Formats: sequence, C-alpha cells, structure tokens
Amino acid sequence: MPWDTIHLWVRRLFIPILLAIPFFTDRYVQYVLNLIMIYVVVGIGLNFLLGYAGQFAFAHAALMGIGAYACALLMSRLAFPFWIALPMAGVAAMLVGSLVALPAMRMKRVYLALVTLAFAELIQWILIHWKTVTLGTDGVSLPPTQLFGYKLTGDHPMAYVILFVAATLYVLGQRVVTSRFGRALVALRENEIVAQCSGINVTKTKLYVFALSSFYAGIGGGLFALALGFIVPDGFGLFQLVVHFSLVVIGGLISMYGSVIGAVVLTALPELLRDFQWLQEIIYGFTLVIFILFMPDGIAGLGKRKGWLPREILVRNWRDLEQRQRSHASQEGRK
Amino acid sequence: MDALTLTLAGIANGSLYALVALGLVLIYKTQDVVNFAHGEVLMFGAFAGYTAYRIVGLDYMSSFLVAIVFCGLLGAVTERLFFRRLAHHHHITLAMVTVGLSFAFKGLARVPFGADLYTFPPLFPDAQPIQIGQAIVTLQNLITIAVAVALTTMLFVFFRITTLGKQMRATQQNLLGAKFVGINTGRVFSLTWALACAIGGAAGVLLGPSSLLYPDMGGNFLLKGFAAAVLGGFESVPGAIVGALLIGVIEKLVGGYVSTAFEHISAYCVIIIVLFVRPYGLFGVKPIHRV
Repeated sequence: MPWDTIHLWVRRLFIPILLAIPFFTDRYVQYVLNLIMIYVVVGIGLNFLLGYAGQFAFAHAALMGIGAYACALLMSRLAFPFWIALPMAGVAAMLVGSLVALPAMRMKRVYLALVTLAFAELIQWILIHWKTVTLGTDGVSLPPTQLFGYKLTGDHPMAYVILFVAATLYVLGQRVVTSRFGRALVALRENEIVAQCSGINVTKTKLYVFALSSFYAGIGGGLFALALGFIVPDGFGLFQLVVHFSLVVIGGLISMYGSVIGAVVLTALPELLRDFQWLQEIIYGFTLVIFILFMPDGIAGLGKRKGWLPREILVRNWRDLEQRQRSHASQEGRK
Repeated sequence: MDALTLTLAGIANGSLYALVALGLVLIYKTQDVVNFAHGEVLMFGAFAGYTAYRIVGLDYMSSFLVAIVFCGLLGAVTERLFFRRLAHHHHITLAMVTVGLSFAFKGLARVPFGADLYTFPPLFPDAQPIQIGQAIVTLQNLITIAVAVALTTMLFVFFRITTLGKQMRATQQNLLGAKFVGINTGRVFSLTWALACAIGGAAGVLLGPSSLLYPDMGGNFLLKGFAAAVLGGFESVPGAIVGALLIGVIEKLVGGYVSTAFEHISAYCVIIIVLFVRPYGLFGVKPIHRV
C-alpha cells in the first residue's frame, strides 16, 4: 500500500481509535496514555519556542508548574470547577511567560538562556517558600473533578477530558504554524535580521511566541495536576525541563508530529524505569546527545525523509499553491 | 554577624564561583559552547578527590592533582568525542548536547556513589578560625581564596607568555586566521576544554569541605558560576572574576542581613536586574553583526 493511502486512513481512524482506547485499557495503562497526551501539549508548546522560533529558553518546566499550581489552587482553595480553572491555568502561565519574555526581548543566546533559567529557579523557589498560598513542599491535592454534577474521577473519564483538550490544542497549533505567524517564527530562527528586513516585527513575534508557548505549558501543567491529583514543587525542576528538551529533540524540532512522537517515546520510558533514577538519567542524557549528533531532526525528520510521514509545509493550501505555480510556469512557457 | 566576616566568606565562595565561571568563559570563547555540564565536571572533581583521599588513601596534594588530571582528561575526551564534530552547528544544538551530557554524567556518578551524602574532610580538621581585627575567617576559606588567586594568576601568565596560551587566544579571536598561521586548532580546542575542566575539578576539591558531596551538587554551582560569567559579559575573563566575587559577597550579605531563605535566590535577582539594564552584562559590549 502506498504511504499516501496509509496516511489517509490513519487520519480518518485516528480520533475513533483514540476514543475507543479507554474501553480496552486497565487503569495503569490509561494513566500512562493520559500522561502521553499531556506531554503532547507541553511538547507542542516548547516546539513553538525552541523549534520553530529557535529561542533557547529554560522556563518551560517552571511555567508548566505555574499552570499546575494555578489549576490545583483554584480548584482546592476557591472551589472553581475544572473547566474554568484549566483555561485560567493557561492564562496564568501565559501572563508569567510574557513577563519572562520582557527582558528576553532584548537578549540573545546565553543571556536569554540564563535569564529564563533564573526565572525558572525563582518560580520554583516561590512555589516552595510561599507556604501560605502554595503549601510549600507538602504539595497540593486536588478535589475530585466534576463536570455538570458528574464526578470524573479515575483515569478513564479523565482520558476524554485530556483527549479533548489535547486534540483542540493540536489542531490550534497546526493552524498557528501554517499561518503567517508560523512562517515568521521560522524566519526568526533562521536569521533575525533577514526576518526584520522582510517586514516581520521581531519584538512582537517573540513576545507572542513566548506567550503562546507558555499558554501550552500552563494548560499542560493544569492537565498534569488533574491527572495526578496531587502535585509538589519538585516535580517542575530541571529534570522536568530535560524531559521536555529530550521530547522535542528526539521527536523532532520544527514538526507537529515530532511533539507527538517524542511524547509517546519519552513518557513510556520513565514509567518503565521509575525505580532507577541513575539509569533514567543516563538513558535520557545519552539519547539526547546521540540524537543531536546523528539525527538532529529527530524521529519525525527521519520519518518525513523516508516518506513514512506526510510532509509538513508551513502553508495551509500548498496543493493550490503548487497548482497555481505550475499553471503560471506553463503560461510563461507559452509566451 | 559582622559585615566584614560575611564579606570574607562571600569572597571565599565568590572565588569558587570564579573558577567555575572561568571554565565556562574559556569554553564559550573558543567554541561558542555554553557548557551546562560544567557543574558535573565540578562534581566529578570532588568525587575524584574524595576517592583518592579517602578510599585510596593518598595525601591531600596528590588527591588534588588526581582530581585536576581526571577532570582535564574528561574535558579533552568530551571535546574530541562530541564537540569537534559539531563545530559550526547552531548554538542551541551545542548547548543541548551539554544539557544531555550533564544528565548522563549525573547518572554515571550515581552508579558507584548512589544517593548518599559524603563529607570531604578539610585539610586541617582541627584548625581554629582566625580572627583578623573584627572579622573571623576559617582556614579553609583562606586556603580556597589563596588557591583561587594562584590558579587565576597562573592562568593569566599562561595566556600572556606561553606559546600555547597565545595560540589559544588567537583561536578565540579568529578561528580561520588561526588556522592560516598554522595553529593546530583541534589540539587547541581539546586543550582549552582540558584546561577549563581541570579548573572546574580544582574548584570541586576546594568546595568539598564546605559542601556535602552528592551527585546533584553541581547544579547549584553551575548556576552561580553561570550567573557570574553573564554578569561579567560572558566573553571577558576579568569580568567573570569580578562578577563571581560580587555574587559571592551579595549572597552572603543578603543571607546575613535579610534572610537565609533569600540567600539562594539573591544571585538570580541580581542577574535579572543587571541584564534588564545592561543586556550584555557589566563588561560585555554589544556584538556587531556583519550581515
């Protein structure tokens, strides 16, 4: 069967299969699947920033923490329903992320990396030390999730909530990267000065991409809190960040599929190696290095080269464009 | 606590940060690599020293040398295996490799040393703190400052006088030009890494007595050294030293007069504020790009 046909069927069957999966899984498998979907959201967010826009920022894990804490605290302390708390978690992370972006507007390279790293440390410090609000290292436990009076406890009902949010954010992300803004991001990555010369407002684009990426991190964090039911500040430190980095690099930078593939590969792995921290670290570390050395565009890049995955083009109606170009060329030829 | 006492303790910490920052700046200047694994180099140095001193039973000086040689070799091997083949890559790629290495190193250190905390005895375990006027300073702190000053001076002399040092500076200034005049730039890369990591290893042994030894110990020092280097402009060796001393002192003063909880994050607040006002650090100049 040619790959095009397979792609078509995968596209048709993807959502039905995802909807059907919770009927066949036990609690643990479903929990891991939920985590995978959450990391898809987080990974897409980081891919905007690190992949498409090429901004080397270290605040993603901390922003995920902000989202998780915003969601958890709104629900446990102010008794917000989750469908209000979750978007608010995204917005909270977005606001903080934009705040991080303000100094970052003027900086590049090392300086950007360091300022975002400093912000990440500050955020984690606040989560630990602002005990009256965040309960410090004791962590926050969430009340049961309710929707219209129905309790959504357990991993199976949650799966549908997470699936809905993740699918929405995936489609939204797809729309974003194929828009003018998405192309502006890639231009920014390739050469800021050239981007500026092509009429892209570099400052605005950077601010927006930071905000967008933080929003995804925040929603991902909110979902994370909902899925786990209990969160502690330690969960959003450097290790979490390296998981995010490995996720987008191994999956594939500048690729929507990359975030999905990375999430699948890298979420299952730590669950299998949960008891061996040293092995986890060695495997994460060296896989990251080996992928960068030998496969810098990740699994998605390999898939696209071999034709296993459809091409990703940053234009929405590229088939039309191709058609138009071809007819244009033939007219040129007639002259 | 007396302000002078705090300042002296701050300078001792700051000189450790300076050693870390020196390594970071050297590597960055030669190869454009931001070495996020430098904290783990420090940790390896501390553990190598510990192994030589406590387990093998060498004397203090030899353990110090063992740590330095071990870290120097580690640096050279890392450069040869990973960074030589990644020359001219995007700086994000390069930094990402070091992030990966940092994690792998931590995992490797956990294999023999596990999750326990180790203590490294000071050189003179029963030395009394020394009183200079109003200030009180421990002997270990004085040794740290002295060794740091000695190492830095040696480094400056090395860069000014020896041929190798001059070759390193030439490579930093202009890679292509250095190749043209016949400098073996590959060797310079390896030696720069070896030098930077050896300094890191020395810092690891020096901080041993004042800090506990565990596989995660490097992260904190990396961040502080990083902060110091950025404060100084990341391309300037004297800048990094000034930045490191500033951060060490500010940290101790904040810890003494405001609250110990703020001690840990005061460095980050300082760099966020400084970089907000001067985006290229205190001593850095805005790079001019040719388009």
